[in-house]
Amino acid sequence: MRAAPEVSVARRIELLRTDFDGSFAEPARRHAAEHVELLAVRAGGRPYALRLSQTAGLHPDRPVTPLPSPLAALLGLAGFAGTVVPVFDLAALLGHPIAARPRWLVVAAGTPPLAFAFHDLDGHVRVTASAIVDEPDGGPGGGGLRGLVGLPGGARPIVDVPAARSVVHALAGHQHTREEEDRR
Amino acid sequence: MMAGRTFGNKLALAFGLTLGLTVLIAATSVAALGFVVHSNNLVIASATDDLVGAQRLSTLMESRMSDFRAFMINKQQNFLDQSEASRAAFVAQIAKLRSTLVDRRSRALLDQVSAAEAQHYALLAPVIEKRKTFTDRNLISTVGSPAVGTARQAVQDGVAALVKQVGAAVEAARNRSAARAVQAVVVIIGLGSAAVACGAWTAWRLTRDLRREVGTAVGHIQSSSAQLESAAAQQAAGGRDQSGAMSEITTTISELLITSRQIAESAQRVSQIAEDTAEAARSGDATIEQTRASIAAIRTQVDQIVQHMLALGEKSQQIGGVADLVSELAEQTNILAINATIEASGAGEWGRRFAVVAEEIRKLADRTAGSAKEIRTLIEDVRGAVNTTVMATEIGAKAVDAGSRQFDDATDSFRRIGQLVATTNDATREIELSTKQQTSAVEQVNVAASDTARVSRETEASAVQTKQTAAHLSNLSGELLELVGTGRR
Repeated sequence: MRAAPEVSVARRIELLRTDFDGSFAEPARRHAAEHVELLAVRAGGRPYALRLSQTAGLHPDRPVTPLPSPLAALLGLAGFAGTVVPVFDLAALLGHPIAARPRWLVVAAGTPPLAFAFHDLDGHVRVTASAIVDEPDGGPGGGGLRGLVGLPGGARPIVDVPAARSVVHALAGHQHTREEEDRR
Repeated sequence: MMAGRTFGNKLALAFGLTLGLTVLIAATSVAALGFVVHSNNLVIASATDDLVGAQRLSTLMESRMSDFRAFMINKQQNFLDQSEASRAAFVAQIAKLRSTLVDRRSRALLDQVSAAEAQHYALLAPVIEKRKTFTDRNLISTVGSPAVGTARQAVQDGVAALVKQVGAAVEAARNRSAARAVQAVVVIIGLGSAAVACGAWTAWRLTRDLRREVGTAVGHIQSSSAQLESAAAQQAAGGRDQSGAMSEITTTISELLITSRQIAESAQRVSQIAEDTAEAARSGDATIEQTRASIAAIRTQVDQIVQHMLALGEKSQQIGGVADLVSELAEQTNILAINATIEASGAGEWGRRFAVVAEEIRKLADRTAGSAKEIRTLIEDVRGAVNTTVMATEIGAKAVDAGSRQFDDATDSFRRIGQLVATTNDATREIELSTKQQTSAVEQVNVAASDTARVSRETEASAVQTKQTAAHLSNLSGELLELVGTGRR
């Protein structure tokens, strides 16, 4: 009864070691352009996906200083490498806030610096572009969601970070400048 | 008066009564005879003393007068002296009569005689003096006087009256004595009649009591004889039954004797078995001690197992902590790989190659996290198994304790069994001994039962004899009743 898992583990170690050693013998390869890097996240108890290319960093358990504000989605301010960044609750932005405090922060690419907080990280996945159903104009619910991706756990709505940024700006009454749009 | 007395007492009382009456009659007769004799003596005394005394007065008077005449004629002093002596005797006789006479009338007549004599004596004194003065006898007639003669006649008449009166008194006394004798005869006849009546009454009472009491007693004797006869008949029948029963008892006792001997043999065998059992119990004691030591060793081993299991659980906890640390490292590595990928995506061609490396790092981190999770699961399994084992071991320890206690109880029971077996052995020996004694006692009982059977047969014979005697006694009672006169059969 004990022997079978031991054999199995030894076999797995052997395979792992073989794969690892073999990877050095393989020629240098690059990612094909048709693949898309995604973060599978969970905000407000619902599954979502984020394009990794639209983010600037992922941080767990980062302290957030609360800031008095009429915006319910604004959790506060957090510091990243000397920069003060406002943090917005992704679940609140998507319209279904919950009381639990989000653990994870993802820094949005672009300026002004902005971070979104979500509750759980399901993992980092790599899918083919064909697996993504793109919606350039947004879904029926509107907001920051653009398209769907089919994953082993089920289809997930893709949170488009620039769209979410636009929603935040709209809430804060901030107008995009051309430079900012270009910089994006 | 007679109730509650025995017949002998009544007989003695009747004889005593009759004897008393006889004595009373005799005494009364003697008294009456004495009374009559006394009365006659009085009559005789009255006749002899008073009548003779009275008549002697007359004689003395005559003697005196004779002597006086002789003096008057002869004038000799001796006649005068004799005359004086006669007079003195007369006076003495009067005094004597005065003392003996009881009749008042006689006493009055005596007083009259005394007075007449005194007057006569007084009239004679001058005549005597005158006679002394002369010697011529012719002169004698001169000195006398008619008064003297009258006085002498009075004296003589008085004496005669006295004699007559005394004689009448004697006659009266004789008549009274006769009357008293008649009274005594009447009293004696009355008492004799009373004695005869009392004797007749006593005889009647005695006869009646004899008939009644003796009849009753004989009747009782007769009924008792009948009861005795029936009892003797029952006793004879009982004696026969008893004799038969004693024969059966003798047979049963013989069987009992055989059974007692068998019991004695069985008790001997039981004693042997009890001895073997006691030996086995003693050898069992050593086994019990070995088992007890084994149980103690098991208990120690179980305690050590529990300690080791607890240590294993603690180590598992520590391993879990290390696995958590590995998990944390894997997560941080994953985060770094993601951030590296993000960084690499903006670094052109080199960035893409770096992204491949970062992906490999991320895959390794995922695998590490999976392995840590697997370790975590395994550790949880181990901890559950440890907990289960500890609980099972503790239950086992408790079971060992309970088993130890039960074993102690069993040991005590075993020792008690050994003691009881020893007690049983003693009791069996006592039973064996008692049974032997019982056997000898049963033999004695057998002898006694044979004797009792013989005595029963003798009792039966004597009961038959008693029955015959009772019948004879009943007949005798009937004859005695006829003899007494009751006539009841």
